[in-house]
Amino acid sequence: MAITRRELITNIGKAGVPVAVAMTVGPQALQAEELSAPTEPLSLLYDATLCIGCKACESACSAANNTEPDTSGDGLHQAPADLNVFTRNIIKLYKPEDGSPSSFVKRQCMQCFDPGCVAGCPFEALYKDKDDGIVHWDGGKCIGCRYCTISCPYSVPRFQWLGFNPVITKCELCSHRLAKGLKPGCTSVCPTSAVIFGKRSALLLEAKRRIKSNPGHYYQDRVYGETENGGTQALYLSRVPFEKLGLPEIGPTSGPSSTLRWQKRIYSYFALPAVLYVGLVTVIRKNLKGHEQEAHEQEKETGLRAQL
Amino acid sequence: MSTATLSNRPFAGTKPPATDNKPRWERAVPVYGVTVITPFFLALVGLAILSLFLTVYREVVGLGPASGMNDKFGWGIWKTFNVVVLTAWGSGAFAVGVVAWAFGRKRLFPLMRMALLTSMLAYACGLCLLGVDVGRPWNFYWVVLPWHWNLHSPMAEIAICMSVYASIPLFLENIPPILERLWHVNVKWQPAVERIEHALHAFFPIIVAAAYLLPAMHQSSLGALMLLAGQRVHPLWQTPFLPLLYVGAATFMSFACVAGTTMLCCLVWKRAMDMEVLDEAARISAWTIFGWLAIRNLDLLFRGSLFTAFHFTSYAGIFWTETILIAYGGWMLLQSLKTHKRQTMFVGYALSSLGGMLYRFSPTTLAYMPGPHAMYFPSTIEILIALGFASIGIAIFLIAVKLLAILPASNQEWRNMAAYYKFRKPAISRNKYLGFFDHNELSLSDKKSH
Amino acid sequence: MSKHPTIEEHLEALGVSRRSFIQLCSVLMATAPAGLALTHKKSVFEIAAAIGKTKRPSVIWLHFQDCTGCTETLLRTSAPDVAHLILDVISLDYHETLMAASGAQAEAALQTAIAQNEGKFVLVVEGSIPMKEDGNYMQLGSKPAVQVLREVAAKSAAVIAIGSCASWGGVPSADPNPTGAVGVDSIITDKPVINLPGCPPNPYNLLGVVLEYVTMGKLPALDEAGRPKFAYERVIHENCPRRAHFDAGRFALAFGDEGHRKGWCLYKMGCKGPVTHAACSTRHFNEIADCWPIGAGIPCVGCTEKDVVWKLGTFETVPIHLATPPDTYPPIYSSVGGVTVAATALVGAVAGVLGGATYVYSQRFESSQEAGEERIEAGQAEKQFDKKSDRKEV
Repeated sequence: MAITRRELITNIGKAGVPVAVAMTVGPQALQAEELSAPTEPLSLLYDATLCIGCKACESACSAANNTEPDTSGDGLHQAPADLNVFTRNIIKLYKPEDGSPSSFVKRQCMQCFDPGCVAGCPFEALYKDKDDGIVHWDGGKCIGCRYCTISCPYSVPRFQWLGFNPVITKCELCSHRLAKGLKPGCTSVCPTSAVIFGKRSALLLEAKRRIKSNPGHYYQDRVYGETENGGTQALYLSRVPFEKLGLPEIGPTSGPSSTLRWQKRIYSYFALPAVLYVGLVTVIRKNLKGHEQEAHEQEKETGLRAQL
Repeated sequence: MSTATLSNRPFAGTKPPATDNKPRWERAVPVYGVTVITPFFLALVGLAILSLFLTVYREVVGLGPASGMNDKFGWGIWKTFNVVVLTAWGSGAFAVGVVAWAFGRKRLFPLMRMALLTSMLAYACGLCLLGVDVGRPWNFYWVVLPWHWNLHSPMAEIAICMSVYASIPLFLENIPPILERLWHVNVKWQPAVERIEHALHAFFPIIVAAAYLLPAMHQSSLGALMLLAGQRVHPLWQTPFLPLLYVGAATFMSFACVAGTTMLCCLVWKRAMDMEVLDEAARISAWTIFGWLAIRNLDLLFRGSLFTAFHFTSYAGIFWTETILIAYGGWMLLQSLKTHKRQTMFVGYALSSLGGMLYRFSPTTLAYMPGPHAMYFPSTIEILIALGFASIGIAIFLIAVKLLAILPASNQEWRNMAAYYKFRKPAISRNKYLGFFDHNELSLSDKKSH
Repeated sequence: MSKHPTIEEHLEALGVSRRSFIQLCSVLMATAPAGLALTHKKSVFEIAAAIGKTKRPSVIWLHFQDCTGCTETLLRTSAPDVAHLILDVISLDYHETLMAASGAQAEAALQTAIAQNEGKFVLVVEGSIPMKEDGNYMQLGSKPAVQVLREVAAKSAAVIAIGSCASWGGVPSADPNPTGAVGVDSIITDKPVINLPGCPPNPYNLLGVVLEYVTMGKLPALDEAGRPKFAYERVIHENCPRRAHFDAGRFALAFGDEGHRKGWCLYKMGCKGPVTHAACSTRHFNEIADCWPIGAGIPCVGCTEKDVVWKLGTFETVPIHLATPPDTYPPIYSSVGGVTVAATALVGAVAGVLGGATYVYSQRFESSQEAGEERIEAGQAEKQFDKKSDRKEV
């Protein structure tokens, strides 16, 4: 007996379900979810106990990136209140009212291993370099949806609110200087070497060495960024709790990995949606046949043209 | 009037129709005898024109001066309301369609055209406003070039899926009323129109299946968007089930939109309401609402977040407001089935959709906590542009229901309409412009009355 | 002693103590911490040795439209030894203010000096050169100044234009510039010209340039305006001793007010420090601390800059081109966003309209149902509409 079109589609649909399920949650698919780390991640190590708050790094960052300093405050000084489209790194002061120790903190892009901004960006305008792990922004693909400003747990990417050709600004570790063999602007002017630049493995060792040689000096004897948010390339040492400095205690799982797992699985290879689609087509076709017959009868009875 | 207006074959879960004189919705009929240009319509057009001027201003000066968005609240009401809320409220094509076509609830067929039209307008206005909201729209062409799609991103999924959905399946589903009108307007066009209609008919399952799959995908992705915000969304809303809850909310909200708008239109233009259809819709809405509330609150309970609802914070206040609105709305819908009061049903729809709107709006704005000392409130220009784009949709709706057959009514109403145009607007009839009566159907009814 | 003794030999012959000489060298080091090859990364003894070995350079100094202030700056040192020292290190072979001769004797002295050191002397020019009326607004021995300059410069090794007048025209060139005063580099284009603007400049600028040239054999690095970078690379604002007050926002607003008496920043009184390239903020005059305009509570007028000193008002503030951070810090969380009354009112109005409309329409539901049913039951709509015209047979 010749197979009808409907039977063919139905059978494909039936066979497709196990295949689709296998493709989405089978062992191979889950394995492929592992993120590949950059081969030679570059890092900044910022030791808040060494920082004197001179803000040379703010000036140097503007100069290195050819950006006008943000003088919107009084028109005389470069005094941004926070990161913005002119300010890729900023020094903030944590000064508690009760007289307990205060600290400076240098905030810039954390260059996470599993960045929320990259995970959320629809057309890969934000992408992480495979070798040095720096997260770059490509204006040719950005649509300005500002999802990165929402998905970054550190609130780093900043959108340009004035003008008709807005950009997203964030620290990119002065990659244009790195290409010329120079160091990032901030690290090349820091007078106390509070912020230093190097390979992440080396800086992590240095941080741990400092902790070991000064037991009890650093908060919880730990380096922020070693495992936080899945690991970041900007590492922090501090005397005061990290949360007081605006570095949230997110835990070791990165945002995207814990939240988008099922999104990835359900849509992998579009398998499940495809199966659902075939199922819908089958059901609707069946209902359409019934509807058509009824409509035809009505047309005859009432003399009025049928409406779909 | 024929009593066997619906098939005598029984359909899923309902009794055969009673043979009484209760009004039945048998076909869609244009609203006749009412001009398009009314004061309300003019007010809408005025608002729309104002918003277009303000949009030009926004494009020139940038998003900062034209809106209340800032570095901590990167999304304003254009995204979080006109897209996240209004496209859900206007996803009737999806919800009503799935229930009618995929689950075989044939009684809801008369509502389909209203659902399709409201969806088309909600999506079109929402997507246009999305184009105004994004900062670099000239790069949107990447939506058709797959090699840079970040498929893990809910934003990519929404951008691609919504664009494809609105421009292809939803658009094609909305063509039949236009074709119908063309068929009636000019005899010469009938063969071409019939050819297109045959083609649409042949591809109907393929188009419509996409029209149900795609909205399921992007309405859930609208929920997945806020998953990446993690701890920055209050625990009363943040849950891995956010996508599912968003689709569920879209379902009962759009039922409210379709059924409620149909009720309102029947009220305003003095049409009869078919309570069998509306009761069916209300029943489905109510049970969806209660199922949704159960899933949401059980999820809160099992994740241990429900206790935060009992703190004296504004977040708890919002939670209770939306829960009470949705629950009370659902309860009113059930009550209206017993008491047969249309007022109760309408208010039930209004309250449940308001609660649903609040639910979908909260994780993006009200329950979004990017940090201390950060706040967002839309600026005046932002509100006016949002209102303006919504009023474009309403204005086009008003035009469409008067020109095309969208609003459901009985077969007799169709004949009344035909007679109206024949006798009250003979000048128009002679131009064959509104030639509803010039063809087979009235000659048939003429024959009948003779 | 040889006819051309080295500096060391000469100083020894004069009985100048080595200590004084070392002191001079250390002042020279402070003059140019970086930028002079002579002093860069060297100890004071190395510098002394280098200078000591050099033959005394011959310097011919010409005056044109000047006030002699640049000469005075060379002489007005607080320790008389230093002035003498400078004059003993360089061999000032012709200087109208300082030499005893005049008239024909002076003319002869000039020619002799040129002849003896042709191609080797350094020509220092003080004062601007008039160009209108064929340059006859000033004559030197019946020759127009421009001609004298050309003749002498042609035989020199390098030309140093000391002071703003020689660098770009100075005071005489201020509006309406009746003499057509210009600087040296507008006239001399075939010899290296080093500009040392200032009114007057610090004498150590001159000393550094001259010694660098004669000991190292080359001129110091110059900027686009021909000024040595070691002295003119930075603006006054960058190294001003009152900078802390600027960064803290403490400004004097009028002469004698509280801020002025406390020594606060003079920016708001029109200090041109932010746009003036000079080294005065680190090297004050007469070897006395705070012996310079800002130190005395007078806003800098920008005397080295052609576009500043005679173009901008004395109390006119200048823009800050290189903004730097102040001494205040932003908190960890800054406040962002706000709400306007108009927006709130609009939202309230919209909510009111929608809520009110819902309420009003919901009340009408019962009555309309009957109306709709009436129309359906009427069913005879054709007859209803047909009152006015005859029905046509179709």
